[in-house]
Amino acid sequence: MLVENDIVERARAGDAQAFNEIVQAYRRRIFGTVSRLIGRPEDVEDVAQEVFIRLYYSLDQLRSPEVFEPWLYRLTVNAALDYLRKRRKRKQEARVADLSEQQVMMADAAAGSKLEVERREKARVREFVDTLLAGVSEEDRILLTLKEVEGLSLKELEKIYRVNENALKVRLFRARQRVLRAYAARREEEARKGTSDERRESESGA
Amino acid sequence: MSGGNQNLERELDRLLAAYRDACEAPEPSADFMPTLWARIEAAEQGWSERLWKWANGLAAAAAVASVLLVALQMAARPAPDYYSSTYVESLLAQTDAELAPVELAGVPSMDPGPAERPER
Repeated sequence: MLVENDIVERARAGDAQAFNEIVQAYRRRIFGTVSRLIGRPEDVEDVAQEVFIRLYYSLDQLRSPEVFEPWLYRLTVNAALDYLRKRRKRKQEARVADLSEQQVMMADAAAGSKLEVERREKARVREFVDTLLAGVSEEDRILLTLKEVEGLSLKELEKIYRVNENALKVRLFRARQRVLRAYAARREEEARKGTSDERRESESGA
Repeated sequence: MSGGNQNLERELDRLLAAYRDACEAPEPSADFMPTLWARIEAAEQGWSERLWKWANGLAAAAAVASVLLVALQMAARPAPDYYSSTYVESLLAQTDAELAPVELAGVPSMDPGPAERPER
């Protein structure tokens, strides 16, 4: 835990200073999680604030300070899901992949320093994995991200989702298999593209 | 599980690890905390406003319902006779009912017959 139990207790009792301490302690972690769950850096701050607002209004429902972290993760997952649902409704919004492409193009236009190359590579990875994760439902995408990217254990996920470990394992397995199939398909597609490009090049050379 | 699948699994694991590194969280802006508190206060105000509106609506609905109930009750019950008669008529009706002659078995009427009445 990043804060002591008594700070959580004080915040529960309505101490604004204690609440501030909690926000300061968890701000970066929540930013990171939200960033990975929603995939849009420009909306991370807004969703993170939503998480803390929900925390402020639901602290009195917290059974004990020991379950504070799973509780906070649960609020984060719910806020991310609500954001993703709202975003799905807004048709005019650009797709994650399109936005990443824009970012890649912007990075291309920038100077080709080593830092830029690194940044471009990261943007490419993000775009690629986001495309793979787009093949599963938002709920499964979040679950998979928490497990595989955030590195949460099954025990932690059990506390967050309040379902038994076996149910989680089945859900995770299915989601991972779907992503794996999407990955295999992408690789096959790229290999086919690579072969046809090579053939075209050899034909033009001849 | 086939070897090809295992390779794919391993590649996916590597890709997800790279994704974790690639997803750098943006730095919180300087006005993160003030904005957060402003949003909390705005939400609180919104709730109290909603509660106030709800209470007002409830009071208005209760007033309308009581007026309707009174009107319904008045329309359903017919007005008693004493509302349409004069005071004297009501008094007479009541006195007549109270002073009706009592018939007692075996006791001759005290009222003398016309033959026994003294002539004037």
